[in-house]
Amino acid sequence: MRKTNILDVVSRKLSPFILLFGVYLVTFGHISPGGGFQGGVALASGLLLILLAQGPGVLSRTFSLKGISLVEVLGYGLFLLAGLAGFFWGLGFLSAFLAPPGTIFILNIVIGAKVGAGITLICWHLFLEGEESE
Amino acid sequence: MNRVFKGAVLLLFSFLLLASVLVEKEPKEYPKSYFLEQGTRETGAVNLVTALYLAYRAYDTLGETIVLIGAVTGVLVLVGREK
Amino acid sequence: MIALLLISLLFLVSLGGMILSKNLIRKVMALNMLNSAVIILFIFFGSLKGTHAPILVGGETDIVDPIPQALMLTAIVVGICVTALALAFIYRLYDRYGTTELPEIEHQVHQNDQ
Repeated sequence: MRKTNILDVVSRKLSPFILLFGVYLVTFGHISPGGGFQGGVALASGLLLILLAQGPGVLSRTFSLKGISLVEVLGYGLFLLAGLAGFFWGLGFLSAFLAPPGTIFILNIVIGAKVGAGITLICWHLFLEGEESE
Repeated sequence: MNRVFKGAVLLLFSFLLLASVLVEKEPKEYPKSYFLEQGTRETGAVNLVTALYLAYRAYDTLGETIVLIGAVTGVLVLVGREK
Repeated sequence: MIALLLISLLFLVSLGGMILSKNLIRKVMALNMLNSAVIILFIFFGSLKGTHAPILVGGETDIVDPIPQALMLTAIVVGICVTALALAFIYRLYDRYGTTELPEIEHQVHQNDQ
């Protein structure tokens, strides 16, 4: 079965808008419906559209495998740091330390990046099936 | 014989499940009024669900990030590449 | 009442599919559907009282219960992780035995034991 032009054109033109919608869901998570988990899954689906339609080589030019793994590990570390930062003000673990929307805004972005990177990594490794990449 | 046994267990379980679920209970909502009044003032979020899972129940979110890292590690080990 | 019947029907169909099916991929799909049925049941029981979504933009006071919705967000992500690990296991089984049908795998395991 040949690959037609429709898949090529639609996937390249649609994927940035899906990524933009995912960023909107993550950053406006404390005002409108959305939040970290929903926005993270939308970000992952925007990246996976390119992976499934064009192949892993095209995706590696913008978002490399090592880069997304780094984002996931850094996201976990930032979440732990945000939890431990409450100790400087005399409060407990994972308590609010900035002005009212400050802490949950940062935590929303961290969760969105982490969930998006995690789901993209799972599907990328299942797609590559143990071959040597790049 | 194996399939008959499996089918019988499934049928018994389905009767028990339907009998326990179809009795419609009126749910008690004790903490909902507290979140309705104090949630926006304490956390600054208009979205109550976000205020819940990031401010009042942030420990569960931390556990979920641990589960995600565990799943990525497991998939990497199982489908890994042989050098 | 109708909603509870439909949710328990979804639960029973996916449970029966997971137990009685012989293809491994169908078992994993039924496991995912089972997860979704339980999550829908929790959110349904949280929506019986109240009429509005729990977002206080215009100063509403008659909202549904926000607590089950916040807990089920984590449950959905855990379900995704379980499905991903099960699919990785199926990939290894296919690599080793060459098939995804359960009677074939049991036959080859019995042959290897003798």
